[in-house]
Amino acid sequence: MTNLNLDAFVADLEELRSEAERALVDAVDMQGLEAARVVFLGAKNGRLKAVQKGLGKLDREDKPVGGQQFNAVKKSVEALFLQASQRVESLSKNTKGVEPVDVTLPGNPVRFGRVHPITQTIRRVSSIMANLGFEAVDGPEVEDQWHNFEALAIPDEHPARDPLDNFYIAVANADRPLLLRSQTSTVQIRVMEQRKPPLRIVSLGRVYRPDTADATHYPMFHQVEGLLVEPGTTMAHLKSVLRSFASSFLGGDVRVRFRPSFFPFTEPSVEVDMEWNGRWIEMGGAGMVDPSVLQSVGYDPDEVCGFAFGLGVERIAARRFGVADIRDFYRNDIRFLEQFHDRGQA
Amino acid sequence: MIVSLDWLAEYVDLPEVDALTERLLLSGLNHESTKMLHEDTAVDLEVTSNRPDCLGHIGVAREVSVLFQRPLKIPVASITSGEASQSFSVAIESKDMCPFYSARLIRGVAVGPSPDWLVHRLEAVGVASVNNVVDVTNYVMLECGQPLHAFDLNRLNGEKIIVRRATEGESFVAINHKEYKLTAEMCVISDAKQPVAIAGVMGGAETEISLETTDVLIESAQFAPLPVRSAARALVLGSPSSYRFERGPDPAAVEWASCRAVELILDLAGGTCIAPAIKAGSLSSSQATIDLRIHRVEQVLGVSISGQRQREILQSLGFVEQESASDATRWLAPTWRRDCTREIDLVEEVARIEGYDCVPEDIPISAVPVQRSPRERMVRVVSESCVAAGFCEAMTRSVVGDRFEEFSSPWGDVPAMVCRPPLVQGADRLRRTLLPSLLEARASSLSSGSSHGDLYEIAHVYVRRDGESSEGAPPIEEPLLLTLVTGGDFFQGKGFAAAILDRLGIYEWSAEESPKAHAGVEYGVTYRPFESAAMTAGRSAEILFHALGEKSRRIGVIGEFSEDVMKMCGCDRNSVGIELRLDGLEFTTKYEPKLLAPSSFPSIDRDMNLVVDEAISWASIRAAIESTQCDALESVRLGEIWRDADRLGEGKKSVVVSIRLRSSKETLSAEQANSFVEAMVRSCQDHVGAALRG
Repeated sequence: MTNLNLDAFVADLEELRSEAERALVDAVDMQGLEAARVVFLGAKNGRLKAVQKGLGKLDREDKPVGGQQFNAVKKSVEALFLQASQRVESLSKNTKGVEPVDVTLPGNPVRFGRVHPITQTIRRVSSIMANLGFEAVDGPEVEDQWHNFEALAIPDEHPARDPLDNFYIAVANADRPLLLRSQTSTVQIRVMEQRKPPLRIVSLGRVYRPDTADATHYPMFHQVEGLLVEPGTTMAHLKSVLRSFASSFLGGDVRVRFRPSFFPFTEPSVEVDMEWNGRWIEMGGAGMVDPSVLQSVGYDPDEVCGFAFGLGVERIAARRFGVADIRDFYRNDIRFLEQFHDRGQA
Repeated sequence: MIVSLDWLAEYVDLPEVDALTERLLLSGLNHESTKMLHEDTAVDLEVTSNRPDCLGHIGVAREVSVLFQRPLKIPVASITSGEASQSFSVAIESKDMCPFYSARLIRGVAVGPSPDWLVHRLEAVGVASVNNVVDVTNYVMLECGQPLHAFDLNRLNGEKIIVRRATEGESFVAINHKEYKLTAEMCVISDAKQPVAIAGVMGGAETEISLETTDVLIESAQFAPLPVRSAARALVLGSPSSYRFERGPDPAAVEWASCRAVELILDLAGGTCIAPAIKAGSLSSSQATIDLRIHRVEQVLGVSISGQRQREILQSLGFVEQESASDATRWLAPTWRRDCTREIDLVEEVARIEGYDCVPEDIPISAVPVQRSPRERMVRVVSESCVAAGFCEAMTRSVVGDRFEEFSSPWGDVPAMVCRPPLVQGADRLRRTLLPSLLEARASSLSSGSSHGDLYEIAHVYVRRDGESSEGAPPIEEPLLLTLVTGGDFFQGKGFAAAILDRLGIYEWSAEESPKAHAGVEYGVTYRPFESAAMTAGRSAEILFHALGEKSRRIGVIGEFSEDVMKMCGCDRNSVGIELRLDGLEFTTKYEPKLLAPSSFPSIDRDMNLVVDEAISWASIRAAIESTQCDALESVRLGEIWRDADRLGEGKKSVVVSIRLRSSKETLSAEQANSFVEAMVRSCQDHVGAALRG
């Protein structure tokens, strides 16, 4: 009996290990796995068994090393088998009686709704104003003449009070005519009547004016109006607040511009433009609260002053969302409404 | 106001057109457009209603002269020649409508075409040439802002002008040859026989200047704004003249315009002026005296403008310095600036001429903490819930047609208020419910091919209350509603309603007076059958809100829409509506949730198969179970309901109730569980006559 060379023994072991690895890794089912087990780990005629027999043929001094090598390979093959059998088992579990799916088929429908673009715009405006310390307030839409006109320095003979320019309520008491409010400044009056300065509020909500509906007009629309009353308030505060607002709303450092205008309840009154892509865009009206308005709510115009501004929500929303006809905001077509994903800005 | 630059240049040297319009834009005359003409440039300027002085070229020229510091040249108007006539008379019967009236007579004019310069100027500003006499009256109005009217003197009856209130129903044929019925709110110019003009609005066909006219009466008057406006509005006869009278022309221009027109007519059409003018009434002219404190300008603008500069600006605008102290000046306002009566008006004048660019735009704004109001938070919470449930927010009109309001509202019995004019054609009722509006929107979305028609809206409705108003508080309420429409049946609707209330922390009680006030929560809702024309009978409910110590109130309705409403709204698919009244529920946002540690012990589930009479409600079964006050009762859920007359008996139903028991202190034994369930079955026997089925 010729003695086996250690190197040849180790080479056999290594060949066995790599063949076993290939066979076990390739096994995809129980049958293949079992076949591989019999070939390599079989108790009677397995190849490992056969190699083990060669161990006795090694020279005596080579035996310890050969034994270590053999044990290492045996452990490694057993571990490979365990791995492979776990893999095959889980593989068979996953595919047992189950057809694979077309993963490109649609999932079960889950649908989220949308917040109306007008509401999104109001939220955005009021959240920016909240950061500047302005609290959102609301009030009645059916108003009396005091809050809609008189307290706002719009006297009886003023054209703004013409019956054709307002929605008067037909059934109301003739001595106290009521109307659908034509501006949300009414809420500012109500708040000033109840609270003392300092005051920072934004009034928001629906307002009504008898405009013929067209692409840029609708008899019902939304306003956001800000009011700040604090001692020492100047137009510089107004301009700075509006600049902060415009910068927040549009992003970046946005310039604002004042143009003189006329509103009964502010003086001086201005139109506010903001610079957008190199152009001046009309943003809304603003001004210092007219002293007579402060007086009408019991404030002393020499003690406190304030500013007010108003924004047309539809106009902002139309520009923001590329809506050319503001009547679309009120058609309530789901195909329209579903396009406006809230981007989490407010 | 369209301005011809060629014309404007008569009164002031003009800068280059872009510089001009830019500067005007920044000082109060908003630039609308510039139109290049053959030999002229027409600039359209927006004039705010407080500035009638800028409704004439001279007024605009004055602004230019101030802004560019160039001299203003106003032509002198005076009539030197003339012969006296005493036979013609003017009387004002309604001084409140017409404080002053002057008539100038010219005899022997030759009416004909105007010279080219006049035709071109009028055309440049969009006014068509008529004849030399009429053109002059238009020209002078566009020059100084004072409207004039020319009558054919020989067609006036009785050599007399009477300014009076129209009689109700009086008829009048205007220059446009249309007949108008007048009302007593209007002021007319009448001759001895009949009205010949609606004061300040339009002349009559009968007395208009024609090619046969030889003698002319030039009217220059002051008319009160209100009658002019109401006549122009009521008759839909707005004119450049009425536009100016509504805003109040310069009183000093009344006489100037009259002389200027006569001069030009004599020049262009010949004739002789009969002097002096025939006048009635007295000019109403009030020039305010105003004190301006120098420091006030800085107090308002936030930027300092020197006293010297303030003085320069006001003087150039025509204000006359009356008295001066070191810190204040008294000013007399010019006749054409009746909008200036107070100190703040002068501050604005100084500011707009100096330019608002001088106002700083980067001063620090103090920080003030601000919280969302409970209402705002509540609205956010419910709106997020609706969006998460797949609903899109709609916005429908607050004012609806009467057919929508025939259906009663859950929120008030008094008929809907009506507004005048209608919001849009056919819609004049202030709505008391959003349900039909949303159903209509759903129907239209579905029919236009949308993938769904699930809509919600959060809006106010307007409900009048019976009884008289107490001072300052009209008996009108504006409930804030959340309304949803979707497909499916009653239970689909109730599911959404319950989920939204759940989100607000409002849970369904099994009985109106819950014995337990739900784990320390002292409010809850119950559901009760509800009758309404808008909903299908037997398939709708009202939601009642209960709070300890408060009267129960309705906070919602749910129902399958009735066929009538479906038909009216054009909806042909099963639809269910939910309407919740949110105002009054704001308090729910006040509570911070406090952890109730989940029990670490296992639960025991038991089913009870109870046979009860058909009339027994689920809520009463729940109430019977809950009345055992078993601490370990974690939940009571409906398993199933089935009916089988053979096995259960006629008029009976089987209700399978799934009970989950769990203690927070220990693992329940089967014996404990059995005894709890036995108690519950007994309670169901006692309270709802239930029999336990095998």
